[in-house]
Amino acid sequence: MAIINATKTPERAAPLGERSAIGWVHKNLFSSWFNAILTVVTGYLVFITLSGVWSWGFTDATFVAQNRRECYDNSLTGACWAGVIDWLDNIFYGRYPRDQIWRINYGALMLVLWMAPLWMGRVKGKILIGAGVVVFYPFLAGYLFSGGDKGLFMQVMVTGAVVALIANTANMLTGVLRGEFLPDYLLRVLGKTTAPDKTQHNMLLAIALTVFAAVFIWQTSWTAEEVSWTKWGGLFLTMVIAGIGIASSLPGGIILALGRRSKLTVVRVLCVAFIEVFRSVPLITVLFMATTMFPLFMPEGFVLNKLVQVIIAVVLFNACYMAETVRAGLQAIPKGQYEAAHTIGLGYWRTTGLIIMPQALKHMIPNIVGSFIGLLKDTTLVSIIGLFDILGMLRSISKDLPWLGLHKEPLIFGAILFFVLCFSMSKYSRHLEVKLSAGNQH
Amino acid sequence: MTQTIDQTSPMRIRPKEKFDFFHDERVRSVFYQLLTAGIFGWLMWYLIANTAHNLEVRGMNTGFGFINSSAGFDIDFKLIDYSPGVGTYGLIFLIGAMNTLFVSFLAIIVSTALGFFIGVLRLSNNWLVSKVALAFVEIFRNTPLLIQIVFWYIGVFSLLPAVKKTIDISLGAEMFLLNNRGLYLATPIMGGLFWMTLLAVGAALVGVFLLRRKARKLQERTGQQMRTLLPSLALVLLVPSAVFVLTGMPLSWDMPTLQGFNFAGGTSVPPAFLALLVSLSIYHAAQIAEAVRAGILSVNKGQNEAALSIGLKPSRIMAMVVIPQAMPAIVPPLISQWMNTVKNSSLAIAIGYADIVSLFMQTTLNQIGHAVELVGMTMAFYMFISLSISGLLNIYNKRVQLVER
Repeated sequence: MAIINATKTPERAAPLGERSAIGWVHKNLFSSWFNAILTVVTGYLVFITLSGVWSWGFTDATFVAQNRRECYDNSLTGACWAGVIDWLDNIFYGRYPRDQIWRINYGALMLVLWMAPLWMGRVKGKILIGAGVVVFYPFLAGYLFSGGDKGLFMQVMVTGAVVALIANTANMLTGVLRGEFLPDYLLRVLGKTTAPDKTQHNMLLAIALTVFAAVFIWQTSWTAEEVSWTKWGGLFLTMVIAGIGIASSLPGGIILALGRRSKLTVVRVLCVAFIEVFRSVPLITVLFMATTMFPLFMPEGFVLNKLVQVIIAVVLFNACYMAETVRAGLQAIPKGQYEAAHTIGLGYWRTTGLIIMPQALKHMIPNIVGSFIGLLKDTTLVSIIGLFDILGMLRSISKDLPWLGLHKEPLIFGAILFFVLCFSMSKYSRHLEVKLSAGNQH
Repeated sequence: MTQTIDQTSPMRIRPKEKFDFFHDERVRSVFYQLLTAGIFGWLMWYLIANTAHNLEVRGMNTGFGFINSSAGFDIDFKLIDYSPGVGTYGLIFLIGAMNTLFVSFLAIIVSTALGFFIGVLRLSNNWLVSKVALAFVEIFRNTPLLIQIVFWYIGVFSLLPAVKKTIDISLGAEMFLLNNRGLYLATPIMGGLFWMTLLAVGAALVGVFLLRRKARKLQERTGQQMRTLLPSLALVLLVPSAVFVLTGMPLSWDMPTLQGFNFAGGTSVPPAFLALLVSLSIYHAAQIAEAVRAGILSVNKGQNEAALSIGLKPSRIMAMVVIPQAMPAIVPPLISQWMNTVKNSSLAIAIGYADIVSLFMQTTLNQIGHAVELVGMTMAFYMFISLSISGLLNIYNKRVQLVER
C-alpha cells in the first residue's frame, strides 16, 4: 500500500529564525554567550570611537574662521576645518597661478573625455583609444600645464593630440549613437563603403590631414602663458608624477619582464640584476640617488630639474615592480599558446605581440590598478626631498601664519582624500578581477 | 591506392646542413647578446666617465677614507656607545643600520602578531567583530604610510603631556613614563647571582619544550590530549621566581627620575621611534591580516567540517587544522611584508628618527659629500637585508614543497 498525496503541499516560509531581523541578530551577533559579550564590548568601543570622531569632526568643529585663534574661540574640543578649507586651492593645485587654474581643470576634463569611451560597451576601437591616450595625451597636457613657446615639435604634437582628441570624441559619438567605428561611419556618409581599399585609405587620410592642417593653423594663433614647474604642487603634482609613473613604467616593465624570461643569457642576467637591485631598496633611497647622483651622471653643463629627476626615479623604481606583475601575467599563459603560435610560423616578436601580450595584459589589469594605488600612495615620498606635492602642501598649512601649528586636520583631510581614491580604485580592481575570471571560465 | 607524385618537378627539400650565417639562431643569439653587452658597457662607461669628470671639476673627494674620520654630530637614539667628535663615520653607518634593524624587528613582531589576530577576526562569525576588523584593514591599507607616520608623530606622540605632567603607564610604579619627550623605561641592573635566574628561565623553557613534545607524542600514539598550558605556565613562572627569591633577589632598577626639566636615568626612547614603531606595526598588520585571511580561506572547507565532525572545539580547529594548512599560502606574502617593513622603516627620515637613511644619506651626505659612496653603501645594506630575507623565503618554499610530495 502506498500513500500518495495527490495535492501539492503548500510551500512553507523559511523558519522565523532564518528570515527575521531578530533571527539574523541572534545568528550573527548573539549565537553564544561568548559572542554576546564580544558584541556588547565591541559595540561599546565602536560607539565611543564613532561618537568621539563625530563630535570632534562635525558637531564641535569649526568650518568658518579667519585664523586658528577664532577656531579656539569657537570650540576647544573640535576640529578646525576652516584652515583646510582656506587652503583647499593650494592642496589641489599647489602654487599654480590662480588665474590659470582652468588649465589644470581642462587637462583633467580632457583626460576624462579621452578615457571615458573605454568604459562604453558600444564604442569600437578601444585599443586605438588606449594607445592614443598614452601617445598623445602627455604632450597636450604637458604643454597645457607648462605653457611657454611652442617649438615646432611641440606644435606638431599638440596638433596631433587635438586631432586625436577630436577623432576620439567623434568616435565616441558614432559609437554611442550608432554602434559604429568612426572610419566606417565616415565612409558610409561619403558613400564609399564599397570602394576599393586604397580609395578608402586615401579618403580617410585626406580627412585626417585636412583636420590636422586646420588645427595646426588654429593653434599657431595662441600660446599659453608659461608656468614654471616650481609652481606645480598639491594633488595636481601628485597625479602628474603618479600618472607619468604608471604610463611609462608599463612599457618599461614589459621590456624588463620579457628580458627576464629571455633565452639570451646576457639580456636575462642584466634584467634580473636591474629588477632585483631596485626591488630590494626603498623608494626613498632611489629618490635620494636621483637628486644627488643624477647631476653627476650627466655631461657637464646639462642640468635636469628636480621634477624630472624625481619622475625618472619613480619610473625606474616602478618599472621593476611592474616587471614582476607582467612576469606573473606571462607565467599564467599556458605553454600551448606559445607552441601554437610557433606552429603557424610566428617568430618571437609576433608571438609576443600578437598572441601572448594581449592575453596576459588583459589578466594583469587588476594588478596594474593595484600597482597604481601603491604608486599613488608612494608618491607622497617626494615631499621628503622638497617637492610640494599634496603632503608637502598639507604640512605647510601648519607653517602659514594664521594657521600656525595646525597639524592634525590637514593630515586627516589628506588621509581621507587618499582613502577615497585608493579604496574606490581597489574596489574597482576587485570587481574587474571577478569579471575577468568569470569571463575566463566560459 | 595510388599516390601521384609529380616526377617532372622533384620536391624541393632545403639542404639541411647549409649554414645560413644571417638566419642562424645561434649566430643571432650571440650577436644580440654582444649588442646588449656592448650597449650596457658603453652606457656604464659613459656614466662613469661623466661622474669622474664632474667630481674632478667640482673638486669633490672620492674614496672610502672618510669611514675612519670622526663625525661631529650627535645622535639622539643609539644602541651602541658613540660620542660626537670621537666616533667615526663607519660607526655612524653601524648605528644607523642597527637602528633600522631594531625598529624593523620590533615592528615585524608586533605587526605579525596583530596581523594574525585581525586576520582571524576578519573571519569571525560575529558580524560586528568582522566588520570592525574589515574597517581597520581598509582604513590603514588605503592611506599612505607616510601620512600615517607623520600623523602619529605630530598628531599623537608630540601632543602628549609635557614633562611636568608625565603619564605613568605602570600605574604608580614610575617604571614606564610617557611624555612628549618620549618613553622612559626603568632599566634592570643585574646583581651578582642573577645569572642563576636566567639559567632557571632557560631550564624552564627546555622543560616546556620537552613537555609539549611528550604531549604531542602521546596524542599521535593514543589520541589522548594532555593539558600542557597550565603546567607550562607554572614551570616558566614558578621555577625562575623561586630561584630568584632563593638567590636573594639580585636585581635592582635604574629608575627614570625627574632632574630639572627632564628625566635622567633609565632608558629613554624618543617619540619619533614610538611613532615609527606604531605606524609601521599598524600599517603592515593591515597588510598581513589580508594575507592571513586569504590563506585561511584557501584551506578546503571540508577540512573545517571534518574537524568539527570529530568534535574539536573551534579554537583548536583553527590552531591544529586550519592554520597549519594555511601556512604555505600565508608565509610568502608574510615574508614579503617583513621585507617591506624593513624598507618602509626608511620613512623615518620624515620624522627624524636616526635610521640609516636619515643618518647616512642625509646628515652625513650634507656634511662630507661623497654622494656615490654613501648612496652605494646604504643601498648595499638594504640589498643585503632583502637578499637574506628572500633567501629565507626560498628555504621555506623548498621545505614546503618537499612536504607536499
